[in-house]
Amino acid sequence: MTFRRGQRVEVFRKSLDESWQPFMDNFIGAHGIVTDPDTAKNDIDALIEVTLDEEGTHRFPQDCLRSLEG
Amino acid sequence: MDKNNCPVADNVRRLSDILARGRISLARGRQWAEDILRLMKDLASGRGGPDHFPAIEVLSKRLAGEEENQTCVEIGQMLLSELKAHREVFLSHLETRNCPLGDCIALSPAPCQMACPSGIDVPGYVTLIGQGLDDEAVELIRKDNPFPWICGLVCTHPCEFMCVRGRIDEPIAIKDLKGFAAERAMSEGHYRNPEKAPDNGRKVCIIGAGPGGLTTAYYLALKGYRITMIESLPMAGGMMMVGIPRYRLPREVIDREVAMIEDLGVEIRYNTHLGRDITLDELKNEGFKVFFIAVGAHGSSKMRIPGEDDFPQVRDAIDFLKRIALGEHHMPGRRVAVIGGGNVAMDAARSCIRLGCDEVTVVYRRRRSDMPANEEEVQQAEEEGVKFSFLTTPLEILGRDNRVNALHCLRTEMGKVDESGRRRPVVVKGSDFSMEVDAVISAIGQTIDRTGFESLDDLQWTRRQTIRVDQASMMTAMDGFFAAGDVVSGPATVVEAIGGGKRAAEAIDRYFEGIPQPKMLSVPVRRQHLGCLEVPATTKMSLDRPQMSMLGNDRRRVTFQQVELGLLEKGVREEASRCLRCDICVRCGACVDICRDKMGVDALQMGYLDFDKPGRTDFRVAAERCILCGACAANCPTGAMRMEDKEGERILSLCGTVLNRLELEFCDDCGSPLGPARYHDFIKRKTEGIGATIRDGNLCMACARKAAAKKHGENMPPIA
Repeated sequence: MTFRRGQRVEVFRKSLDESWQPFMDNFIGAHGIVTDPDTAKNDIDALIEVTLDEEGTHRFPQDCLRSLEG
Repeated sequence: MDKNNCPVADNVRRLSDILARGRISLARGRQWAEDILRLMKDLASGRGGPDHFPAIEVLSKRLAGEEENQTCVEIGQMLLSELKAHREVFLSHLETRNCPLGDCIALSPAPCQMACPSGIDVPGYVTLIGQGLDDEAVELIRKDNPFPWICGLVCTHPCEFMCVRGRIDEPIAIKDLKGFAAERAMSEGHYRNPEKAPDNGRKVCIIGAGPGGLTTAYYLALKGYRITMIESLPMAGGMMMVGIPRYRLPREVIDREVAMIEDLGVEIRYNTHLGRDITLDELKNEGFKVFFIAVGAHGSSKMRIPGEDDFPQVRDAIDFLKRIALGEHHMPGRRVAVIGGGNVAMDAARSCIRLGCDEVTVVYRRRRSDMPANEEEVQQAEEEGVKFSFLTTPLEILGRDNRVNALHCLRTEMGKVDESGRRRPVVVKGSDFSMEVDAVISAIGQTIDRTGFESLDDLQWTRRQTIRVDQASMMTAMDGFFAAGDVVSGPATVVEAIGGGKRAAEAIDRYFEGIPQPKMLSVPVRRQHLGCLEVPATTKMSLDRPQMSMLGNDRRRVTFQQVELGLLEKGVREEASRCLRCDICVRCGACVDICRDKMGVDALQMGYLDFDKPGRTDFRVAAERCILCGACAANCPTGAMRMEDKEGERILSLCGTVLNRLELEFCDDCGSPLGPARYHDFIKRKTEGIGATIRDGNLCMACARKAAAKKHGENMPPIA
């Protein structure tokens, strides 16, 4: 799906993408807000910036994220 | 050791004190103690890895074994004793990144601070600004971010997305407050560098003078490092300078903040491209052993359509914006098509308007709601006269005699949701048409330019053509090489580059010191513990977020003058008082629970406590229902909720927001304060029928006992 700025999301699983770092395992299940989506071309492969509740701001591959809004 | 204090925090305080007092005279002993302190601070801020505890033990044993120096022996033995006695607590900090006693305050920063990629103490500086202390606010910001002014103008402000106030009405205007304070401090000549450490003789070469590189330079220079920066452009700032148009970020702002960094002794070699003007071997021969790569993402993605490479009037937006920044102010054409829907496309389109183009059309293949550009950017572009052609896909660039004359396009419509969960644009058959244009600017993505890095064979690159690093330390696969910014993340934000640069500075220092690198990203540090701004609940609820003054539209269309003119001082000070101070209130809800469930009063309407499904909040409700019993304050784990008697009143406040204040009643006999009438009425209702009252009026417990004893004595027959 296309993520947009301000959207509430959940890190619902570990990504197999190479950009996934070991410390991100701790974020599975965390909720957050998309703060900087791919600002160029809605690229499904782009890393997007998500600010997690209590866990800081990180760039995630999109396959580990799902929307919490309807 | 106080049993109520966390041993980790206690030892950090104790060791800091020992070092500050200069108790360790032996140089190597002092170094070990400093390293132990640094590792313990990692634990206290949730950054420790499995190596930390053993490393602290080893260093403590070294100290204890320094038999020629009794102070070292004593401190070493003390530390070993502490580690043995509190081993589980230390390990718990490592494993859970939580402080069981809540004493390690860095483990619970406010959501806005947690959200900031550079970890700025947002509640701290917002409070200082509210107090009118702009210089102090800037000083505080620069502990974590050397560019308060730049970020005050162009930060993407993830902090505001997490701002808890946003769950009530609108988030605090954090970015704009920062911009105001920085401009004011600079204007009044109070924007100063902190004192730097003495020269340590260590040389670091930074490749790229953008936000990431300059940040690393700043923090390392403050530690006494000798910094040399290699910059291919004739000016510093990187993409901040050549990627962000001047109407959003004036050059003077960048120049002034960069000059502050140069003032620390940082050398910037301009017009110097690695691999072209200087080689890695030449730099190594100059004595550089550690390198930090932060070259940004200055390349552009190709549209891959016919005609793209055939006409000089077809350009990429990154190069177009760079040329404008470097002083080229020629109109690209009369009628210009800008391809793309992101922020760079908006920047290019709005710049075209300012250069005098008659017609500028943004061509985007999806709907407006799908545009990745920031909404305010799109809105401002429209205000300035940029047109939009949505659901339009460019097919071919047409021209004759080396000149573009049209963009051949197809109409699209949004298709069904595919397996990735996205709706893709689908071409409408027979919908092709030509848009008459004489210039085309593509803005469909940035890439990393790897030119110059050919000699770095062991540098590892990701499939996205970015440098692979460990995100916690920004270390690359090459020993002594670190990297951050867009070259690591891909095209991202200024504040992310700053955050990466700060992490890299810390990691480079550790590299030189030979101590373990952190395994987790750092938890932001609460820099100051400031009191709260007192504000009545009514004011807290009724104040609106201030509106930004904007440059008039006619001026915007013809000049590159700054569009956002800043906030007025009155609005800034008031805005700071809207802050909920989430660094103090951890939103546990204990106050609400006890008021509603135990006391049955339900005076606290604070729906904002829930992150996912915030409910209604109205602080004013407390004044209607609260009996000022103090149960909420007594059960608040952080002291955010406070009740105090002052000038004949009992006052309940949450982080400075006065929720309720009622006149106190006093003991008729001794005059001590009792509580407000509403509280007494509540107690009377609860105790009705339990027993007879001593007498009418108000008595404190002590006087009531005396009165009861006296009455008892009067009623009892005398003992024979």
